[in-house]
Amino acid sequence: MIQLFQVYKNFGSKNPALLDINLTVKKGEFVFITGPSGAGKTTLLKIIFCAERPTSGNALVDGRNLNRIKDRELSFLRRRIGVVFQDFKLLPRRNVFENVALTLEIIGFPLSMIRKKVHQTLRYLSLANKAGYYPPQLSGGEQQRVAIARAIVNNPLILLADEPTGNLDPDLTMEIMALLKEIHIRGTTVLVATHSQELLKDTTRRIVTLNKGRIV
Amino acid sequence: MKIALFHYFIKQAMANIFENRLVHLIGIGTMSIAFLIFYAFILMFVNLNYWIEEQGTSLTMSIYFTEEPDRVAIEDIKKELFLFPGVTIKRFVSKDDAMKSVRRKLGDKAGLLDGFKQNPLPASLEILLSRDTCDDSLPYQLKTRLEKITIVDEVQYSQEWIRKIQAIMEAINIIGMIFGVLLFLAALFIITNTIKLTIYSRKEEIEILKLVGATNRFVKIPFMIEGSMQGFLGGIVALISLFLVYILVITRIDISIGFASLDIVFLSPQFILLLLLMSVIIGFIGSTISLGRFFRI
Repeated sequence: MIQLFQVYKNFGSKNPALLDINLTVKKGEFVFITGPSGAGKTTLLKIIFCAERPTSGNALVDGRNLNRIKDRELSFLRRRIGVVFQDFKLLPRRNVFENVALTLEIIGFPLSMIRKKVHQTLRYLSLANKAGYYPPQLSGGEQQRVAIARAIVNNPLILLADEPTGNLDPDLTMEIMALLKEIHIRGTTVLVATHSQELLKDTTRRIVTLNKGRIV
Repeated sequence: MKIALFHYFIKQAMANIFENRLVHLIGIGTMSIAFLIFYAFILMFVNLNYWIEEQGTSLTMSIYFTEEPDRVAIEDIKKELFLFPGVTIKRFVSKDDAMKSVRRKLGDKAGLLDGFKQNPLPASLEILLSRDTCDDSLPYQLKTRLEKITIVDEVQYSQEWIRKIQAIMEAINIIGMIFGVLLFLAALFIITNTIKLTIYSRKEEIEILKLVGATNRFVKIPFMIEGSMQGFLGGIVALISLFLVYILVITRIDISIGFASLDIVFLSPQFILLLLLMSVIIGFIGSTISLGRFFRI
């Protein structure tokens, strides 16, 4: 599903963000990407959903070489990748329903289908009573769940979550992790970037550790 | 286009306009001024062109009488005139009609005429000579022949100054084109900048849309609709303003060129639709330029 070959990413500073990354993630896998702050976790995820292009090396996602992908194909690929951003990236001027509906509107689903799918997803994430709220009116945990709802409403092939429990208390952390596991059980390939060692304790999932841009 | 997408684009364009209403109001206001100048120019241009065309296909001749002619005298002159090919009678202007017309032209200063004990203005008969049937020497022949009639004081015709006006019109044509292009560019500049501002205010949103799989077209279309709507609204405001100016000012004054009055007619519905379409197209082009130039997505 995801293959990275000798991927380097340099933002122009002395220390490259990623160095010689070779990584294969199979379809249906659940992988934790961990490492201290600044290790390159976010950059690695950004390479996968093509918010950043590798300085050198090749990245293949769902069979597409991201170095050669055209703009239009990239948009279609991104529709198959759900991303939960560290800063949520919710649209403050649109309510919860509209934020979640965005992915489906982009694809061009009929309005009736959009309503059905969004309400289903909001119920699944216990957000049904928040549909009319705007992001600034929600707590951090609720915003996190809206971000997840937007990422999964379209049943993506891959779900990328960047520090999904970063600002949450332990109870909410467990709740979010349980959700991600459930999404994984439904067949989605999940990559979770986290610096929290607590989250990795007792896990049987694959863990990829980054340090100073390298896989260790 | 799928109905859901169309619904989304319209909704987004309306939301953009509402959220950036101040920027849009200023944009629409400035643009409507540019359009108003352009439309006013078009109105004058169309009317002058029509008038020249009318004057060009037929030559106007005015026969001034020494005194108010009676019906028989007029009929006699008409008989005389119909001996010549391509002559049509336009209208008879009595001494009273002439006075009314002068009073109208003088407006507030019409009181000056009260000093006259009797009406000093002559009655006249306006005739048209068709250019198709009369050669260049006919007006002169006609003038000499008519001036021999006792009741006729003087005959004037418009050939010379029509030629001059035609030369002026050619110059106006060129100036008009330059002026039109400049106003077009000004309207484009305004639209481009308004849309650029709304793009900047939504930069983060555009980034999010792209990250969740929106194509460039999906991101751009609402802005294009927004630009087109702005062009349309600017056009509507300009047309309403022009119509008000027309009703309140132009219809109340007499505009004369030489001795022929120019009756300004408002733009035809087809012309109005064409101008509105042009405003929409300017809006569309302006937003497309700003999307391409200022925000390469």
